Amino acid sequence: MKRTVALAVFVLVASHADAQPLEGAPKQFLAAHCVKCHSGEKPKGGVALDALTADFANPANRDKWLAALGQLRAGTMPPKGDAPPAKDVAALTEWAEARQIAVELEHRKKHGRATARRLNRTEYENTVRDLLGIDAELRDLLPPDATANGFDTSGDAHHVSPFLMESYLEAADKALGFAIANGPRPASTTKKYALTDERIVKVSTESVYRKRESELVMFSSSAWNSVVVGQFYPSVRGRYRVRISAQAVQSDGKPVAFRLDAGPMLMGTKSRLVGYFDAPANAPKVFEFVLPFEARDHVRISPYGLANAQTVTKTGAETYTGPGLAVQFVEVEGPLHDTWPPASHTRIFGDLAQGSAPVPNNRSRLEVTSNKPEEDAALVLKRFAGRAFRRTVTDAEVEPFVALARKRMAEKYSFEAAVRVGLKAILVSPDFLFLTETPGKLDDFALASRLSYFLWSAPPDDELLKVAAAKQLSEPAVLRAQTERMLNSPKARAFAHNFVDQWLNLRDIDFTAPDHRLYPEFDEALKTAMLDEAHLYFAELLKRDLSVSHVVASDFTFVNGRLARHYGMPGIDGMEMRRAPLPADLHRGGFLTMAGVLKVTANGTNTSPVVRGAWVLDRVLGAPPAPPPAGVPAVEPDIRGATTIRDQLAKHRNTPACNTCHTHIDPPGFALESFDVIGGWRTNYRSLGNGKPVTIDGRRMPYASGKAIDPADSFEGAKFADIDSFRELLLKDTDRLARALAEKLVTYSTGAPPGVADRAEVRAIVQRAEKRGVRALVHEVIQSTLFREK
Amino acid sequence: MKLSRRTVLRAAGVSLALPALEASAPAKAPAEVPRRMVFICTPLGIHPPNFFPKKAGTDYEGTPYLDVLKDLRADFTVLSGLSHVGVDSGHDSIFSYLTAAQHPERRAGFRNTISVDQLAAEKLGDRTRFPSLAMAGEGFGLSWTRSGALVPPECWPASTFAKLFIEGTRDDVEAQLRRLRDGRSVLDAVGDQAKGAAKAASAADRDKLDEYLTSVRELEQRLARAEEWARKPKPKVDAKPPQNVTNSADLLARTRLLFDLTHLALQTDSTRFVTILLGGASQVPPIPGVTFDHHNLSHHGQDPEKLKQLAVVETETFKLLRDLLAKLKGSKEDGATVLDRTSVLFGSNMSSGNSHSCANLPFVLAGGGFKHGRHLAFDPKSGPPLANLFVSLLQRAGVPTDKFGTSTGPLKGLEPSE
Repeated sequence: MKRTVALAVFVLVASHADAQPLEGAPKQFLAAHCVKCHSGEKPKGGVALDALTADFANPANRDKWLAALGQLRAGTMPPKGDAPPAKDVAALTEWAEARQIAVELEHRKKHGRATARRLNRTEYENTVRDLLGIDAELRDLLPPDATANGFDTSGDAHHVSPFLMESYLEAADKALGFAIANGPRPASTTKKYALTDERIVKVSTESVYRKRESELVMFSSSAWNSVVVGQFYPSVRGRYRVRISAQAVQSDGKPVAFRLDAGPMLMGTKSRLVGYFDAPANAPKVFEFVLPFEARDHVRISPYGLANAQTVTKTGAETYTGPGLAVQFVEVEGPLHDTWPPASHTRIFGDLAQGSAPVPNNRSRLEVTSNKPEEDAALVLKRFAGRAFRRTVTDAEVEPFVALARKRMAEKYSFEAAVRVGLKAILVSPDFLFLTETPGKLDDFALASRLSYFLWSAPPDDELLKVAAAKQLSEPAVLRAQTERMLNSPKARAFAHNFVDQWLNLRDIDFTAPDHRLYPEFDEALKTAMLDEAHLYFAELLKRDLSVSHVVASDFTFVNGRLARHYGMPGIDGMEMRRAPLPADLHRGGFLTMAGVLKVTANGTNTSPVVRGAWVLDRVLGAPPAPPPAGVPAVEPDIRGATTIRDQLAKHRNTPACNTCHTHIDPPGFALESFDVIGGWRTNYRSLGNGKPVTIDGRRMPYASGKAIDPADSFEGAKFADIDSFRELLLKDTDRLARALAEKLVTYSTGAPPGVADRAEVRAIVQRAEKRGVRALVHEVIQSTLFREK
Repeated sequence: MKLSRRTVLRAAGVSLALPALEASAPAKAPAEVPRRMVFICTPLGIHPPNFFPKKAGTDYEGTPYLDVLKDLRADFTVLSGLSHVGVDSGHDSIFSYLTAAQHPERRAGFRNTISVDQLAAEKLGDRTRFPSLAMAGEGFGLSWTRSGALVPPECWPASTFAKLFIEGTRDDVEAQLRRLRDGRSVLDAVGDQAKGAAKAASAADRDKLDEYLTSVRELEQRLARAEEWARKPKPKVDAKPPQNVTNSADLLARTRLLFDLTHLALQTDSTRFVTILLGGASQVPPIPGVTFDHHNLSHHGQDPEKLKQLAVVETETFKLLRDLLAKLKGSKEDGATVLDRTSVLFGSNMSSGNSHSCANLPFVLAGGGFKHGRHLAFDPKSGPPLANLFVSLLQRAGVPTDKFGTSTGPLKGLEPSE
């Protein structure tokens, strides 16, 4: 029925479109300034404007208008010397925006601003984690999510397929298997292991380990000399407490760092990095971790920053005098269970008893039983559905799931097996997988979900649901208080990770590996610190409500010894990240000059001002450049040292068709040319061909110092000499930075970017955010109609 | 007002091949010749000077990469000058490699369309145990559904081999059947529930729920077919079950396993449509003389050392292709070779990794019963859309269509040999 209505609307729109030829001033404007070049068989830049109509409900027509207006307002079109009178541009803009706004508001009334969306992989995993109370990496069971407008929270980008549904079935099976206990409590043991008993230590023919009764000293940081604790070999998955006693030796009183990994440790498989830690020199320190393990996982200890195997074996471990890592013991206790059956089990089944349910290869198997199976199944499923759907549910809504379990019981399934089928159905139902929102003001439950997936990438907790059930969340003061509570929760880490990584594109940090001849100093520890810096810095801006100017400038950042060395900050040792002041002569501060950002905007060998410039315009200034016209050949990078990227780009900057956009795109990228592929400061390009030899600490580097970089250019009509003076230009308009960040926050949290109709509301958000603080901005986004309406 | 699910789907303009169960039997009519397609993509380009011959026609000259395939010269065609319409340079072109959807590089507003293998599987996939087989060296893949969702690729040959060939115990089969039955009834229940939700939704959101309902319905059918197949014995092969290569840097070993599996799957008629996205790892592969990862090498910046190493890596990949083609040619079926009945398209979504250009894509088309032994050269500036090639391949595979994506017709110059 509704389908027919929708169809009728479409027909109406279509016929309406035919009745909207361009008339009056807009038509004259195009005729006078645009269609001379942008028409005919081969319009300039592939952009034809001769067939534009006044119909903004037609997406293709609208997009052309918006792109053309963007060029007009930016002054990039028409090309130099042909500028139309400003008042005509203003009038045309006003006319077009009014039409666009009318279309947006009409659409919004019917459908809301955002399209319904399902959970993305991260949210799915977190949701199952919170719902069932389990640790489980489920995201890898699901296909990767598409993104739109830079974020994976957009309903327009997500699709459902039979393959995805099958993955959901599989993930649900797995998650329920983890949550429900089908056996007696697994025995918890505590065992102490000596690394001298490890296989690699016993069989290694290289003299890199010093073996003592009480400890093993590791001297080599070569990857193959790290020690996998193979003696720890858990037979069941669960949480285990790992205690490692370690000390630095022969280190002049300085700490020695080590890296800890957990995982299956098969050759080449990905392990989970637990972290980098500093073993002190004066006495052994016991490091304690509680970690989730799958059956047959191990841990691996790798000393960091020591000599390589070749150096150590020259003298041999017994007489080697360089620094080493001594490990006295590794102790593991577990699996740890506060209660049995575990909380994940009782959350589903309450206090229903378990009875013996043996199978051929497992005699001690247990299953949940019930004396009133139909009644209990309904109870269990209703309780579960309410939590899974993140709202109150009616009996009628749960009935299909209960009926399913009943039917299974009628087919001689056991109580537990039948209820599991019902639970599985809830976990693949649309109310669980989708965020349900209806056009207009969000109801309290929908608001609770939007808020919690925004700040936690996870479902609302009991308190938030309680406030929503009482219909209080929509009261501004309550909403503000809940936002405060949630920002202060450790779960808000998800915001600093998922928002920041997508906003700044840090998820692509592994997309290219730096060329090891050009950047021999790059390593995993540096990369890890780069990511930590961005996350900690954002959390700090949020915590202290610091001004958005900190996006591009700051007198502090977060570093550990490794990153500090990269930045040239003396006196900071160890692997622990900490807040540290940034001297002005380092030319750093803010996300703009963070090594992680500079890495993801480069590839492994060279930087491109075009890529970095476009990144700054989009991510920092909220004005993404138009895509390049079709058929333009890309630059062929050349690192032989005879030419610089500026020389190469000069060609297109001298072509009027390219120049109009590139005078706008490239300058921020040129300002960042002072930073290399891994975000190090540079005055000259590193080259593998021409250039002066480079020697550091007496060692000849595999690269040469090539041509000098030239970061000077002009931005929006103002000249700048380097990154410092470029930043000054950005700081002149803090509100622009605030608007750009607000737009990203709106896009991430609601799944849809602000439209033309929302410009006023975005401005209002910025005006309301006291001192343009980042926390204030987050609050004002949440209080805005953009967030509170679908 | 209560709508039946079928009504909703029909109203949504979704055409389901109902009834599917009747068609699910191994309905290989005696006269039907199985026609197959394999699509392989190496995602970092193929260094153009080492691949493309200058001369067109049958007497094209050898090039470093084509020389690897020289013993099979009569069994393949080199294609040049093809590119997708409206797919601009960059890695994002991988989205459209087999779909021809325009402007993946713009991300916003991009919606993928069905890939050529999935279209074929929709029409002809019910003939085999697996309608299609999407594989990849890493997590991403080449196959896309009609709704624009990625078909999650199989990345672990050992488990794929088990699915294809290893017969479970009776208990395993029973458990599998029960899982499939449970799956179907779960889908049935959520389908009912989703209908309620669809009624409440606005039109734009209803599209999303329709997508969900369609997926549920299609998966139900697939599980029903899987149930039928689960009762039938799996084909027996002599090959030993493969061991997964857990070293993710070892691109070649991983690729070889995927190719071997492809051969076995086609030879046993377990599936007829295969896609393989090779890994483009950013780890140094264990190949003598190679000290950079493949991605880094593709960004060679004209550095002679990197160009040398890139040639090593790419030559090794061509050797693997040669071995796959030779195996398919060596497998006989009703007096023909499996290669004769299998179009194998090997190529890349970029011509050069260094510039990320997507113009003039490199392709080798082998088998499938086409006239081969030629370099079919088109002018890169005015050549036909790559989708035209897909139209020709689909027609050859027995899918009656004269349009795919941005195509303007079948590919001129490509003709069946008989």
